[in-house]
Amino acid sequence: MHTEHIKYDLMDYITNRLSEQERIRVEQHLRKCSDCNNQYIELLATDIALKKNHDKVPTSIYYSTILPRVRERLGSHQQSIWHYGYGAAKIVLPIAVSVFLAVFLIRMPKESLSEAEQTEKLHQAVKDLNEDEVVQAVEREYAGLSLSPNQEVAAVGVAEHLQSGRFLKSAISKQIENEEVADMDIEAMISDLDGEQVDQVLSGLSERNIL
Amino acid sequence: MTDSNDLELVELFQKGNETSFNELVRRYQEKVYWIARRFVNDHDHADDIVQEVFVKVYSALKLFRGESGFYTWLYRVTVNIALNVLRKQRIRDFIRIDEFFETADDVNDQPDAIFEKDEQQKLIEEAISKLPEKQKAVFILRYHEELSYEEIALILKTSVGGLKANYFHAAKKIGEYVSRAHRTY
Repeated sequence: MHTEHIKYDLMDYITNRLSEQERIRVEQHLRKCSDCNNQYIELLATDIALKKNHDKVPTSIYYSTILPRVRERLGSHQQSIWHYGYGAAKIVLPIAVSVFLAVFLIRMPKESLSEAEQTEKLHQAVKDLNEDEVVQAVEREYAGLSLSPNQEVAAVGVAEHLQSGRFLKSAISKQIENEEVADMDIEAMISDLDGEQVDQVLSGLSERNIL
Repeated sequence: MTDSNDLELVELFQKGNETSFNELVRRYQEKVYWIARRFVNDHDHADDIVQEVFVKVYSALKLFRGESGFYTWLYRVTVNIALNVLRKQRIRDFIRIDEFFETADDVNDQPDAIFEKDEQQKLIEEAISKLPEKQKAVFILRYHEELSYEEIALILKTSVGGLKANYFHAAKKIGEYVSRAHRTY
């Protein structure tokens, strides 16, 4: 039997979840293979550590509260579907989240073809800016204030050079710190995302090398 | 597992018998709780997941056709919701909401007086939390829930091949993490 296959059976061997035949095969292999033996000793130590680990269990009273609370949630859930329109929420929520993320992550200025050359220069110039200048520029732009030429460079640069994730992170943090988004219930927005939407957000962030 | 019995309960529910849903909840609430708890390492978050799982199951059960076993499907819903909670936490961590908003808690660091943990336990939980999603799911379902590889493959909608390797690598990483941490103390 190949070492790899034996190696993958070691945890099951330790936790006694192999058939008699498989157990004998692992034991025979362990007698002659020092590599697998070392792996076995390490995994045995891990198993001991895991077994020592006693999770605090909830009381039986806790389990008796689950069903009533599920029932209560089902009642309010159905009511909220009736009142607020579940279908509409399914459409509006991802849009709201996308807008939120678009504002904070992909602030893309409109650009005409005739400005391509100028933009290229801006991209080059932004590399010389420090983080504070970029953050300041982004803040001013969000606040709708006019930008100096240098700040415009920064704002365009940040939008175009999304790989500079740390600039963006700083900008977002500062935005939140300044409470400019205090009226947006970000926590609720994130909580309401479904699995697909969460994946979309995560892949969006990771595409930009932010995560 | 008592799956044939489960399917009878599902069928009764689909015909309008509400109490059969209650029975399914009672039957599986503890299992669902522990799967969730292993993923998030926190009682309150695990409790939220349990609630979400059964609310989702209630809505989806009407469409359940019994192509997979009930508990396989239920565990799949639980794993997906638990992973979703962890993914949302990653987004929260990214925008660092918890520094500015009191409502946001870190899934893994929330102090809990009732469920106080010792250092070793924290270390193991940390090690598990750092595993890639699939390895984490395989480890929890195999080591703690003692499911067969075939059952795990059905729950994770994956093939059996590779699950043993996932399990081995997960256990190895946990061991390495714990012994590395002990060496640095």
